[in-house]
Amino acid sequence: MWLYLGKRIVLAIAIIAIAVTLLFLMIRAVPGDPAAVLLGPRATLEMKAQLHQQMGLDKPLVVQIVAFFGGLLHGDLGFDVFSQRPVADIVFEQLPYTIELILVSIFWAVMIAVPLGCYLAIRRNSLVDQVASVVTVATIAIPSFVVAVYVLLIFAVTLRWLPAIGAGNNFRDVLIHLILPAFAIGIGWVGYISRLVRASMLEILGENHVRMARSFGLSEWRIVARYALPLAILPTVTIIGVGIAWLLSSAVFVEVVFARPGIGALIVSAVNTRNYPIVMGVVLVTTFLIVTATTLSDVANAFLDPRTREKL
Amino acid sequence: MKDILGSLNRRTLLRAGAALGGGVIAGMPLSRAIWAAQGKVLKVRADGDVYTLDPGFYVGFGDIDVTNCIYSKLIKYKPGSEWGWELEAAEKIEQVDPTHIRFHLRKGITFTGGHGEMTARDVKFSFERVIKHNSPIKPDWGPLDHVDIEDDYTGVVVFKTPFVPVWNVALPFGVGHIVSEDAVMKATGNGSSFGLKPPAFSGPYVLAELKAKQYTVLTRNPEWSGPKPGFDEIRIIPINDDKTAERAYKAGDVDFTRISLDSFATVKSNPPAETEIEEHSSLRYYWIGMNIDHPKLKDINVRKAIQWAINVPQILDAAYAGQAEVATGTVPPSIVGHRESALIPPEGDLAKAKEFLDKAAVSDLNLTIDCLNESTYSTIAQTVQAQLSQIGITVEINVQDSGSFWTLGVESEGDRWKEMQLSVMYFNGLPDPHYATSWWVQDQVGVWNWERFRSDHFDELSAKGVTISDPGERAKVYHEMQDLMEESGAFRFLTYGGNPVMHRTTRMKAATLPDGRPLFLDFKPV
Repeated sequence: MWLYLGKRIVLAIAIIAIAVTLLFLMIRAVPGDPAAVLLGPRATLEMKAQLHQQMGLDKPLVVQIVAFFGGLLHGDLGFDVFSQRPVADIVFEQLPYTIELILVSIFWAVMIAVPLGCYLAIRRNSLVDQVASVVTVATIAIPSFVVAVYVLLIFAVTLRWLPAIGAGNNFRDVLIHLILPAFAIGIGWVGYISRLVRASMLEILGENHVRMARSFGLSEWRIVARYALPLAILPTVTIIGVGIAWLLSSAVFVEVVFARPGIGALIVSAVNTRNYPIVMGVVLVTTFLIVTATTLSDVANAFLDPRTREKL
Repeated sequence: MKDILGSLNRRTLLRAGAALGGGVIAGMPLSRAIWAAQGKVLKVRADGDVYTLDPGFYVGFGDIDVTNCIYSKLIKYKPGSEWGWELEAAEKIEQVDPTHIRFHLRKGITFTGGHGEMTARDVKFSFERVIKHNSPIKPDWGPLDHVDIEDDYTGVVVFKTPFVPVWNVALPFGVGHIVSEDAVMKATGNGSSFGLKPPAFSGPYVLAELKAKQYTVLTRNPEWSGPKPGFDEIRIIPINDDKTAERAYKAGDVDFTRISLDSFATVKSNPPAETEIEEHSSLRYYWIGMNIDHPKLKDINVRKAIQWAINVPQILDAAYAGQAEVATGTVPPSIVGHRESALIPPEGDLAKAKEFLDKAAVSDLNLTIDCLNESTYSTIAQTVQAQLSQIGITVEINVQDSGSFWTLGVESEGDRWKEMQLSVMYFNGLPDPHYATSWWVQDQVGVWNWERFRSDHFDELSAKGVTISDPGERAKVYHEMQDLMEESGAFRFLTYGGNPVMHRTTRMKAATLPDGRPLFLDFKPV
């Protein structure tokens, strides 16, 4: 297990380094100059040159990337010349908002989808199962930003039950501000996870150890909860790990629709203004999050199913 | 794992559900109750985040909206439909001669934090640090040389050459704010930018809280001795997207916002309850630019053909649902130098366009048009594409993101300017014609003059325009400059866009500038 864990960590570091390097090169390959965007039309050539110098853009590309990784070793993500603040401060100020949104979205989705998937597996081919199949597939198909706009129009604009924008101040306020955006992101996951759990559950429920449990006269729900679910949940754990990337991209749109703070909104404006230090900082942190989530889900899988450890 | 699952029992879930449900129920009366509970709170939308609260280094208009409330200036803009100014920190101010402005400060304006009374030294420090520290917005001061101090309250702003725009832009706007020399020097050591951390305030409000991408809260300045503003608190909420802001307004989360032009007609015909809508033209100006140096556009007859083939009202119908007015040049209405009409009628004339094309002896002309990746600009490009096809010109549209687009014509950014042909352009203006024309002098070719328009006479007029104080005489100069631009064939002026705003009449009486920008200090509670 420890060897497996070690290999995963080395792989994770390599993935982060490659992803960040690729993005570093890609964003500079795209035409555009942060100085032109940041300083605006009144900027003189001298001012632009000064900003290039401050951002280190006057140095060769290799020097820039070496400086970036060198800074990383000291925990320095760089400096945003525009706001005159360290990039780490800016990114970590916004990150909690995105993380809380993602966690709440996935939490409520799992809480509903897993029991629903189990129920549909037990009542397979029933009318409820057939209706639920249509509904769950529909929730997967509808993009989160469409859901976001409609729930906002219904619950915030028309009914005025919930706030339309922002992230809230105190705990209760934060929860209230999370309801609509988390619903918008999580609803697709309810469909996705419930379909996954249902399919896995159907497979497990047909296996010998389950038939044996039935022959002992155990109740169907007890069989599901104690013997089938721990195995059927494995693909879901993997999917949630991989799905962090998908959740992050959903969060970008939802943060814009609800005018929420977060790294989604941050990176959109940073890419548009070619604010390279912020883009690099956000990408580094999100890559780290995604790689950590997939590594954790792999480790969890390996912990639950020892056969997977041998596949690395 | 067992511990985690163990903690997620039915009761825990029910408790969490109850907490969320309670939150929802509690949230229902919250928006209604907030007004009464919080006193006079002004909740307004800003277009984006505050970048800096150092007025000497401001970035956007959003910064100025806040600095207007927390610092004083010698003069400030008057709300209303005409551009004008009134005294703020100055008791008296006068243009002594074309290069000297004498001011006399009001007594008793104090800086917070024990930094003392505002003096002429603070004015000198505030104005000169913009030049000394090479602020990106130092061009606002034009040829400012220095400020002479005559006594504690009196000083003279000295320019190297006459600079009339100082009255319209520098003094009542961003760089005209006065900060405390003592406080800034203690905070920064050398007087450079203090970013988002103001060391002292001198306006009717102080900064209470600033949360990036969430809100900026201003509360009354207890040390303020001037006239009291109407609201106890101003809560400025940054919302980049106009549609999101409109929804936030309808949901009651903000009480003042700009309306996007494409939803203006709908909002106007069916306004939210208790809402007043105001129409303002913006200071932004839009045009179709043509790169004179491109081989395909070198012939003025080709450019003229394009000018005459473009039907501006059609474009405005398509891109702005007919809600934007036709531009007559780059100088917007209500600014000195605005032309009553353009040389080419807005509708153009296809027959005339074909005549010019025949004169150029060009056939099978294929051109490209660059535009930003926003629906308004791509719609403009598509309409131009359709209109030019009527005279046999094929147009390919290149849509680009802002980072790429805004470097297209910049020579120092590579060779893309050589390939540039047509472009859907806009610049943001300031309330002085100098800022709507100075980009097309020859020094700006390959910098911001992407049409690569060159005219010695235009350059002479540009230099002359900033020295003339008589509005009538000044207007003639800027009329002629816009005529020259249009005659070159490189410009087809489109519109000034528009800046409609709405506010809740049960909460406030709004106060805006002619371009619709809010003056929070002049907002009155209802």
